[in-house]
Amino acid sequence: MKINSLKSVIILGLIVLFSNQVWSQDLDSLLDKEIKPQTIYAAATFKATRIVNGHSVEQMKKKQLDFRISHRFGDINSGSYNLYGLDNGLIHFSLEYGLTDWLEVGIGRSTYQKTFDGFAKVSILRQTSGAKNMPIHLTYLFSTEYISLNTDTLMKNAYSRMSYIHQILIARKFNESLSLQLTPTVIHRNLVPTELDKNDLLAIGLGGRYKLSKRIALNVEYYYVYRPNEKAISQSIPTPVKYYNPLSIGIDIETGGHVFQIMLTNSQAMREGGFIGKTTETWSNMGIHLGFNISRVFSFTK
Amino acid sequence: MNKLILYFVFSLIVFNVQAQNRFFTKDAKINFNSSTSVEDIVAESNQATTLIDIDKNEIAFSVLTTSFKFRRALMEEHFNENYMESVKFPKAKFNGKIISPIEWKSEKVVLVDVKGVLTMHGVSNEIILKAQIIPGKNKILAITEFKVIPEAFGISIPSAVRDKIAKEVTIKIDAAYTPYQP
Repeated sequence: MKINSLKSVIILGLIVLFSNQVWSQDLDSLLDKEIKPQTIYAAATFKATRIVNGHSVEQMKKKQLDFRISHRFGDINSGSYNLYGLDNGLIHFSLEYGLTDWLEVGIGRSTYQKTFDGFAKVSILRQTSGAKNMPIHLTYLFSTEYISLNTDTLMKNAYSRMSYIHQILIARKFNESLSLQLTPTVIHRNLVPTELDKNDLLAIGLGGRYKLSKRIALNVEYYYVYRPNEKAISQSIPTPVKYYNPLSIGIDIETGGHVFQIMLTNSQAMREGGFIGKTTETWSNMGIHLGFNISRVFSFTK
Repeated sequence: MNKLILYFVFSLIVFNVQAQNRFFTKDAKINFNSSTSVEDIVAESNQATTLIDIDKNEIAFSVLTTSFKFRRALMEEHFNENYMESVKFPKAKFNGKIISPIEWKSEKVVLVDVKGVLTMHGVSNEIILKAQIIPGKNKILAITEFKVIPEAFGISIPSAVRDKIAKEVTIKIDAAYTPYQP
């Protein structure tokens, strides 16, 4: 009897203790229990929609319009007479608009060979963590360029002036500072300068950004271009051409609604067909250009 | 003795089911405004989670900073990336106690003072805010409006944009609670 009642007291005590614990659970920890894990999207993998010359996985969200002006000055090695290239530059400007959060379209015009261009950028996968885990961003870019320069006698019709660019952008934001991107590229030119040049050009881009502070980032971008006939082209008669791979180093400066990018690059062209396909200058003899991109974003949402 | 225990357990269960001493919602609205004459800076989240304990007169709020929606996508990105640092500090929280008298059984509007700790951007500050509460048997409504200074929470605003952002940010909260079912 004595043992029995002792047991009961212990059980009763335990119940009281347990129920007390339930009651005294504070609101804060109850709230934490109620909040389900969320899917967190990796935002701002790059500061701008371009790493330097080439596209990054960033794009305009729905109803956001990006007005971009880019400028590349002449060769730094052109000497003091040309003020190290500052006397002559090329300009490219474009309007780029987010139709939806995953689809951006843009049109642009460049001084370089008086080229018009249009593109569509489709976000297929976005890097996430939390409830859903996706390690990378994946974006498809399709772009068309139309060379309107009329001094090239080979370009007889509109067809011969067109080229098409396909890119798959694969990027990952590793941490708050470091993001890297791999960009397999195919460029189809309807007309190429010589029969040694392939109509289809394969290239792969490597890009990265490293944040130096909250609003300043360092970008590097390199495209390896596969040219099996490179040597033959560089010795071809009558116009030997030596092509180089574009390497660009830039700084992003973000000020509210603007992103200002300033860079050094061995390519003066600012669109894929030009900087991937036709870069003929090199860092090794200072054939580099100072340049900048300015981006101003306008919002059309209510 | 066994009967006593049984009775006790039973009464505990009954008490548990009947006593609605906690009210809850996970879609409270939080709106903030730091507009100036140069720039409209307004954002809203309707995913704030909050609990009221009417026995202890305690209130707790929690909201993910990434749930705030802005008109401009770029502004939203800067809010999370540069100011709130949402990856490092994903939640903003408030834990407080109603310090003025309140009669939960009446269904009349009461104006109360709530004293508590607001935590955001990893920094906690004690604040006292005024709230309007409409108690009810199955529903409690609460609204409040208060001001915070970003710098008090370690949020630094660069001088280049300081004039575009209000010195004090006005925060409005609107919550409709229903009885809490764990």
